[in-house]
Amino acid sequence: MTTAQGPLFSVKGLTKNFGGIRAVDSFSFDVGEGSITGIIGPNGAGKTTVFNLVTGIYRPTAGTMLFRGEEIGGNRPDSIVRKGIARTFQNIRLFNRRSCLENVLTPLLQREKCSFIGAMLGTPGARRIEKELYGKALDLLSDLGLGKYASYQANTLPYGLQRKLEIARALATDPTLLLLDEPAAGMNPEETRSLANMIAEVRKKFHVTILLIEHHMDLVMNICSPIVVMNFGTLLAKGTPDEVRENPEVVAAYLGKGKRDNERAAG
Amino acid sequence: MFLQTLITGLSIGGIYALMAVGYSLVFSVLNFSNFAHGAVIMLGAYVGLALATKLSLGFGLVLAGSIAGAGIIAVLNERLAYSSLRRRKAPSLYLMISAMGCAVFLENLVYATIGSRFYAFPEFFGRQVVTLGGSSISLLDVGAFLFALAAILGLHLFINRTRTGIAIRAGVSDMTMCSLMGVDLDRLIAIVFLLAGGFAGVAGVFLGVKYLVYPTMGWVTNKAYIAAVIGGLGSLPGALVGGLLLGIVETFVSTYVSSVLRDVFSFSMLIAFLIWRPNGLLGRDSEEKV
Repeated sequence: MTTAQGPLFSVKGLTKNFGGIRAVDSFSFDVGEGSITGIIGPNGAGKTTVFNLVTGIYRPTAGTMLFRGEEIGGNRPDSIVRKGIARTFQNIRLFNRRSCLENVLTPLLQREKCSFIGAMLGTPGARRIEKELYGKALDLLSDLGLGKYASYQANTLPYGLQRKLEIARALATDPTLLLLDEPAAGMNPEETRSLANMIAEVRKKFHVTILLIEHHMDLVMNICSPIVVMNFGTLLAKGTPDEVRENPEVVAAYLGKGKRDNERAAG
Repeated sequence: MFLQTLITGLSIGGIYALMAVGYSLVFSVLNFSNFAHGAVIMLGAYVGLALATKLSLGFGLVLAGSIAGAGIIAVLNERLAYSSLRRRKAPSLYLMISAMGCAVFLENLVYATIGSRFYAFPEFFGRQVVTLGGSSISLLDVGAFLFALAAILGLHLFINRTRTGIAIRAGVSDMTMCSLMGVDLDRLIAIVFLLAGGFAGVAGVFLGVKYLVYPTMGWVTNKAYIAAVIGGLGSLPGALVGGLLLGIVETFVSTYVSSVLRDVFSFSMLIAFLIWRPNGLLGRDSEEKV
């Protein structure tokens, strides 16, 4: 699914150097509107660096990133969020000492234009906005099955729920494109399955396009299409799950070339 | 005598709290010790002095002008000396060294341009006193304490209720995450410095009116650092409690023990807190930010 102008998000020749190390090397890929696109690749392939570039935490060394046809490379993180790209982190980064509700409320408040004096004095107008935002935050939490934990301090939640809370907080910025960095990290197969269902539901309910990095192959193969494979900062392959699974280069990157393969190649 | 000492203690404590609040605010957001805070207090006092002597303004306008002046100076200080380090994600030690440099630079700038003379504010309140329970209490002391209390309460409401205040709290836990919630960090940090500078301006005027205005007067901020540690670094209620406690202890030591031993007591208190209660009275666990 693409719009008339092209894909929702399109990256071309993206490059990032850290000193002498080229973490991302002329990497290109597209994300079609409404898709769940997966990025996979061995550890250290540069996947998280790509997320940091897309969200403006790093400035790209070279390359273009077009979001709805508009260049976002080099923009500040807050302006990229406002354009509609939100993310979660591989190592969960919640506002730990705040309640779940406050975590979700923080981005909601930043979108609201409420008067400074009104908020200080607690005028009826400010209270009404506040109440409305509380309602929105509670709805979001309930949508992700966190309704009854609203008043819990974020870092007291079990790991799996903290991940869901991070997704809820990202959704509170009202994104068009949601980036999930290893959402299933540290989850057992059962939790992973329920996460896969949740991601599919979130996409439908919030009309978001999803780009996710993941190591759990069953999750990626089940819900992602297309899949983009990265290795040493470059594009190794892309295609449907089946195409990627059959690709000999992908298999080699993941499993390494064994002695027998080399002998066979020589023989 | 006791009541008089207590009120004097509260008034000095209020000034310490005003200084500690600004210092603590910057510390909790940027996680470095802003040693230039004292220089901003000193410049705030000079701004107030100029308004009072050259323009003969009343106390209210002097205070307002000093708040604005010190606030702008603090924002400029951040823009010129800290922002490029901050954007490069430099370790906080670099920011601290830069802050020390700013303190020395600003102080010497005043020496070079205004000179090392001690100046006194005009007598705003005369020697007005109220008699309460047999002891006479200076109106200035009561005023300083009440104003400090009101200002800190206002800041507390701002931090907890407004959109920007909540963004500041989010920034305290995680700056990067805060920007990913759609917060413009440069603007946020400018607001933090504006607030810290404003509080420095108030402290500068009260210090100047109570004592004198001179280039090294900012070093009294050492007491604010102690107050901030006692209350818990990065905690606003902590800065208030720490400041008041320190002010009261100091005044009682001066009155009943010896004024020479006053600073020995203050610094011993700092060391005792650092050894037995490094998080202060109301601080968060230091393990949180690793």
